[in-house]
Amino acid sequence: MPTLRMSKIDKQFFGKMANEQVDFTLEKGEIHALLGENGAGKTTLMNILYGIYQADGGTIELDGKPVSIKSPKDAIAHHIGMVHQHFTLVPTLTVRQNITLGLKSKGYPFVKARKLDQSIRLLSERYNLAVDPSALVSSLSVGAQQRVEIMKVLYRNAKLIILDEPTAVLTPQEVESLFIVLRRLREEGHSVIIITHHIDEVLAITDRVTVLRSAKNAAEVLTKETNEEELSSLMIGRRLQKIERKTLPFSYARKGLQLDSIQSKNGSLGPLSLSIPAGSIVGIAGVDGNGQKALAEVILGMQNLQSGTITLDDTALHHLSVKARKALGIGYISDDRLKDGLVLDMDLKENFLLSLYRKHACKPHHLIDARYLQEATEQAVSSYSIKTASLSTPVRYLSGGNQQKLILARELGDQPKVVVACQPTRGLDIGSTEEVHSILLDLRSQGCSVLLISSDLDEILSLSDTIAVMYQGKIMDVIEHGKVDMTYLGLLMAGSKTRRIV
Amino acid sequence: MRRVVLSFIVMIVVILLVSFLLIAMVGSDIPTSLVSFLRGIGGSTYAMAEVLVRATPLMLAALGVSVGFRTGFLNIGSEGQIYLGAIAITWLGMTFPSLPAPLMIALALVLGSLAGGLWALIPGLLKAKFGLSEVINTIMLNYIAINLVGILVRTSLKDPTYPYPMSPMLPVSTNFVQLLPPTRLHVGLLLALVCTALVYLLMFRTTPGFCMRAVGLNARACQCSGIAASKYVIISALISGALSGLAGVSEIAGLHHRLIEGISPSYGYLAIIVSLLGRNHPVGIVFASLGSAALQVGSMSMQRSSGVPTSIASIIMGLVVIMILSRKQLFGCKEA
Repeated sequence: MPTLRMSKIDKQFFGKMANEQVDFTLEKGEIHALLGENGAGKTTLMNILYGIYQADGGTIELDGKPVSIKSPKDAIAHHIGMVHQHFTLVPTLTVRQNITLGLKSKGYPFVKARKLDQSIRLLSERYNLAVDPSALVSSLSVGAQQRVEIMKVLYRNAKLIILDEPTAVLTPQEVESLFIVLRRLREEGHSVIIITHHIDEVLAITDRVTVLRSAKNAAEVLTKETNEEELSSLMIGRRLQKIERKTLPFSYARKGLQLDSIQSKNGSLGPLSLSIPAGSIVGIAGVDGNGQKALAEVILGMQNLQSGTITLDDTALHHLSVKARKALGIGYISDDRLKDGLVLDMDLKENFLLSLYRKHACKPHHLIDARYLQEATEQAVSSYSIKTASLSTPVRYLSGGNQQKLILARELGDQPKVVVACQPTRGLDIGSTEEVHSILLDLRSQGCSVLLISSDLDEILSLSDTIAVMYQGKIMDVIEHGKVDMTYLGLLMAGSKTRRIV
Repeated sequence: MRRVVLSFIVMIVVILLVSFLLIAMVGSDIPTSLVSFLRGIGGSTYAMAEVLVRATPLMLAALGVSVGFRTGFLNIGSEGQIYLGAIAITWLGMTFPSLPAPLMIALALVLGSLAGGLWALIPGLLKAKFGLSEVINTIMLNYIAINLVGILVRTSLKDPTYPYPMSPMLPVSTNFVQLLPPTRLHVGLLLALVCTALVYLLMFRTTPGFCMRAVGLNARACQCSGIAASKYVIISALISGALSGLAGVSEIAGLHHRLIEGISPSYGYLAIIVSLLGRNHPVGIVFASLGSAALQVGSMSMQRSSGVPTSIASIIMGLVVIMILSRKQLFGCKEA
């Protein structure tokens, strides 16, 4: 008898099916991957299991007994725990306080800190989860924070543990140690569900795979009986064509974007130097939060420099305003499209106007030319195949992928000289990701200097001419395309430069 | 859709019930009170003109508030800016009494809007440059402005021939044209309507207006697109204050013809409510200011003929605002 059986789960959001007749079964003591593209309904299904959403239809059985899970509280009572993609820790509290948050231990409200620390240590030894109970969460690395999240779940006696995209923020080495923890959990009789869209992870760690595709079940297979090709075609419904990155047959004379010993004012970045010649893609590899965003923002002008220079084809940029830099041809794709890229309560046209407003053509007599704006937006919507109910829909109601495409259309549509792309494919399905990749490669062959910042190493490796690894605001090393050694890369990402293999 | 209709019906019923209850509590006859309320609003040409007279400063000040709100500049200081506009025209009229009327009016409008605008510019700059809360600062500037008028009408702007704290009557050249004598309706109403059209054009048809609205919704995204958010906060503070300043000018030029203490019976605060009710949209504000003016004028008539205190108008106003703000949540309306 499976430990969990979800059958015929239906869930609708605003008339769109997020889960349609989805079945999911989990055996006791297995690591089970829930594989699918973004928007396939993986997280929705797990949120239903964890009580965050209520299913519109279908049943959930735990150990053969039907249960109703109305809130995460019910889920925890049923020994279900979930580690969300975005951590839910309080940074100003200690590890112990975070783990015991909301629980009443013996002697409440007087906390016996030493006793709690003891039990946390026991738990961490048992599962190989190295954490110091008295450390402040804000002082921990992302990998350690994830361990705290897992501890939090285990401390609440979870037998069934759901991990939503657990490897997205980890270095290759951290991924390895996470896998060790997961195997340990399996040995201890826990059942683990990993939500992911990375096929290599599925093959590396899981016992069984359930594939979802556009809100429906695509397949359920045993990991040892499948392979990468089968999984990818199950996931996207067709065979994946790997983008070919060709060496350009010519080179541009222009220098492109040059960063010379720059240091940001708030001290989080630099000193570093980097050259992005015209017609090349420089990829920034590194664990999230190591100054990548600051790097993007000093180029755009959102953050000021303490020292150093930024030049574009010998024009100094670093003292110019954002507006002037954008006018020189800098396109910016932020990793946070909701905060930095879009005005959610405005419609598509107005979001397009965010960059068009400077052009004279859109305001011939000082008033905004509604027809010009309409046509410009229509053209972008069709050439980037953005799906929307109308051009007057607030972009809040667009899906993440369509929002991203809107930003791409706006930022890349005007033949930029420099593109700063932060996580340009985050939240996009594989098809759209391919499109973005080929757009970036096109820009490269048109002579654009592309800075690609991504936590998806595959993306960096397949697109970049050179790869720079960032750690704590500095560039550890710059590696030529084709001369990449993964172990060395991982060590650089973790801040160590000791072993050099060429 | 059905829920939306239902929610409005429930709101009207609640408002009527509360009004009846209040009228009954003060011991007045409900039908007589209602009749006098309605007569006060629409019973005569004079009554209708009175509503328009009341609506004029509300409209101007609320337009100002809405420009600020749209840009994320929460201007609670409309009241003070109205006083500054009033000071400006009084000073002008007293200092240069012999200017010809067209020049006098033009100068009064310019000076009044400048005075109000600069008064709002102080918190605008403090917000844009240092991130200080404009809410606190505008409120504090209200106290300063109100008491500044109190001092001025006792000192430099005082009428020496009169024992009370007020300025002398201003020269006739400062007066707005009366539109419909013998009612008090004056050309300030037209000024307010022209400003409505201009604010609409600015905010919804030009790029600076677009930038202001975008800054109000997501300043960070604007900065990433090269729109200098703080610049537009400052511009919007200026415009916001200038419109309130015009309200002050219009009250003196059209109605009082002299500066007195309490020249604005909280129009500046009411304007915030009017702007909210009008959804910060110029057209909505025209209707909201007419509605709240009617409520006030009607309740004054009710006080005169059936002894119901005018505070009932404030109570109803407060109730309306709370219900409108919580309507969607209370009735579960989803509007696209």
